[in-house]
Amino acid sequence: MTWIAAIPALPAIAFIALILMPGAVRNRSLWIPVGAIVASAALSIAAFFQTVPGEHGITEAVWRASWVLGTVDGAPLMLGMSLDAVTAVMLLTITLVSACVHVYSLSYMGHDARKGLYFAELSLFTSAMLLLVLADNLLLLFAAWEVMGLCSYLLIGFWFEEDEPRRASQKAFLVTRVGDLGLMFALVAIFKTCGTWDLATVLGSVGEWAPGVTVAIAIGLLLGAMGKSAQVPLHVWLPDAMAGPTPASALIHAATMVAAGVYLVARTLPIFEAAPAVQMATLIIGTVTALVAGLLACVQHDIKKVLAYSTISQLGLMFMALGAGSIVAALFHLVTHAFFKSLLFLGAGSIIHATDTQDMREMGGLRKVMPFTWGFFTIGSLALAGVVPLSGFFSKDEIVLSLQHAGQGWAVALLFVASLLTAFYMTRLYARVFEGPSKIAHAHESGRLMLAPMGLLVFATLVLGWMAPLFARFLGHEAESLPLAVALTSTVIAAAGIGLGWFMFHLRGVDTEVLKARSPLVYAAFARKFYFDAFYDAVFIRPFGVGARGLWAFDRRAIDGVVNGLASLARGTGQRLRRLQTGRLQSYQRLVLSAVVILMACVMIYVAMTGA
Amino acid sequence: MRVGLEAFLILSAVLFSLGLFGAVSKKGAVQVLMSLEVMAVAVNINLVAFSRFLTPLTMDGQFFTIFAMVISAAEIGLGLALVLAIYRRSRQSEVTGLNELKG
Repeated sequence: MTWIAAIPALPAIAFIALILMPGAVRNRSLWIPVGAIVASAALSIAAFFQTVPGEHGITEAVWRASWVLGTVDGAPLMLGMSLDAVTAVMLLTITLVSACVHVYSLSYMGHDARKGLYFAELSLFTSAMLLLVLADNLLLLFAAWEVMGLCSYLLIGFWFEEDEPRRASQKAFLVTRVGDLGLMFALVAIFKTCGTWDLATVLGSVGEWAPGVTVAIAIGLLLGAMGKSAQVPLHVWLPDAMAGPTPASALIHAATMVAAGVYLVARTLPIFEAAPAVQMATLIIGTVTALVAGLLACVQHDIKKVLAYSTISQLGLMFMALGAGSIVAALFHLVTHAFFKSLLFLGAGSIIHATDTQDMREMGGLRKVMPFTWGFFTIGSLALAGVVPLSGFFSKDEIVLSLQHAGQGWAVALLFVASLLTAFYMTRLYARVFEGPSKIAHAHESGRLMLAPMGLLVFATLVLGWMAPLFARFLGHEAESLPLAVALTSTVIAAAGIGLGWFMFHLRGVDTEVLKARSPLVYAAFARKFYFDAFYDAVFIRPFGVGARGLWAFDRRAIDGVVNGLASLARGTGQRLRRLQTGRLQSYQRLVLSAVVILMACVMIYVAMTGA
Repeated sequence: MRVGLEAFLILSAVLFSLGLFGAVSKKGAVQVLMSLEVMAVAVNINLVAFSRFLTPLTMDGQFFTIFAMVISAAEIGLGLALVLAIYRRSRQSEVTGLNELKG
């Protein structure tokens, strides 16, 4: 089964092949990355069937392969891959979404002058993400994690000619780096404690760790996951990341990379269970994130930013599930969310492609112009809002169930609030974009190359929800049926959110000016994104800027001053000395004469003084 | 009254100083050359005087002087040729004008 190693290797080869080509050839060789990812997807399906029927529990690997990298303190340092049920599901999700995004990008990025580079970066990203889920040790996982960060940076800043993508890419890179610092710390602590990074060994020895060490490692891992998965307060980079190309946002900033944090915590959940306080923190952070991002999604005008905040909010739900100790619920929501959120992003891309704007206030009435996009997008929105029988409904209720089992009633209540917000802002988005008078004349339906991948994702969104019991059994857990009470409550909540949104934004157009006048403080808090950016600006960025300017002044005045001073001293001396070189014979003569006279005078004085 | 070595040395020193003054202060290249000749003559007088008063039997100084005079005659020939070449080039023969190699 060594062919499983080819799943991440194929996109990597595609990346290397593309990056070595000259730009023009690269732009004509797009079949390489698309072919590689389709082949990877086919292999992932095969790998998935290798793990069927699962049911072993998630730690039991179907296949393992390790390579010795070297020796540290006499012990071999192994890097390896393993395939188990969780990995199989993740592989399938990543390759399918990535394949859809690749095909979609063929059309969406078709006119870009650097599309070859875009596809190369997309391939590198996919390869890294596949390696991340296949890694059987934390070192390889961390390496893949960082490569993904790099790809995220490159793709956000893909249109680096403009100011906003450039800033956003740097922000994303730096903010996630804060979390990565925690992860790196955790890795060092783990190696110090266990002497290995092998996941199975590490997780097997959790019980023997000192409590303080366990808590420290869990906090480090949580920090890393928070950075990558955009949890409050490290969420600020994700909305800005929407400056990148929309299909890349769909793949990286909605479906896969941002889920890596959830995956990491799910993988290392035994560590969190050994540190209940940190697990509680995970639950609280997830809840806060779900609510904060949900509220902010209600006030965005940029269609992609609504979806970005929605992604943050849904990642918060996954963290809640992990806080409640349910890997199944978290991963199931991760998978369903990956499909319907990438569907929504691709739909948004289709809309942006047609209207040349991202501002929802300039859209409207697109239902009749773009019937397919409308249909696909509506299904995605309903899934996100948690409407029966779409996938979001089932996975969200799994989370509710897991929270109930953990006995966190307050979290259930807040999750319902988040669900209400979700339904509300998606209805707002729908009403703004598809209903009302048509404002853009040149809007048109997108081509088949863009609609077909969306169709595949719609299929997944429709079908996946029913797989919940199968999914649980596949991961080795008891499947349980959904209690009617939970299902009913969440349906009522979703309906309430949709109804409220429909009433406010379609039946009765809400005047934001009225709201602004009525409660200016609340309005300001929303408009400034709850002051997270302002806080970072005041606490980190501006003091850093002051320090940097101070050092710059020191460099310019003190250090440059010394260097330049020496130079001008030499030049000045030279300027004065060159006057001696008059070019006149006789002045040289006079110099020689005076030198001789002085010398003779010296000799005479010497002789007179010594009396010799 | 017998003329002693000191008188010749004083004469030589005076001639040398005159020549030096001329070489340093005169503008014309020919005048400078003439001044140099005066300095050379002063040296010759020294040689002959020392020879006459200190080693009268060997006459080393006189022979040296003959050689020095021949060499300075050749030197003057060469110097004057140079002055002529400079004059052809720049229509003047003053040493103050020769400053093309000024730094």
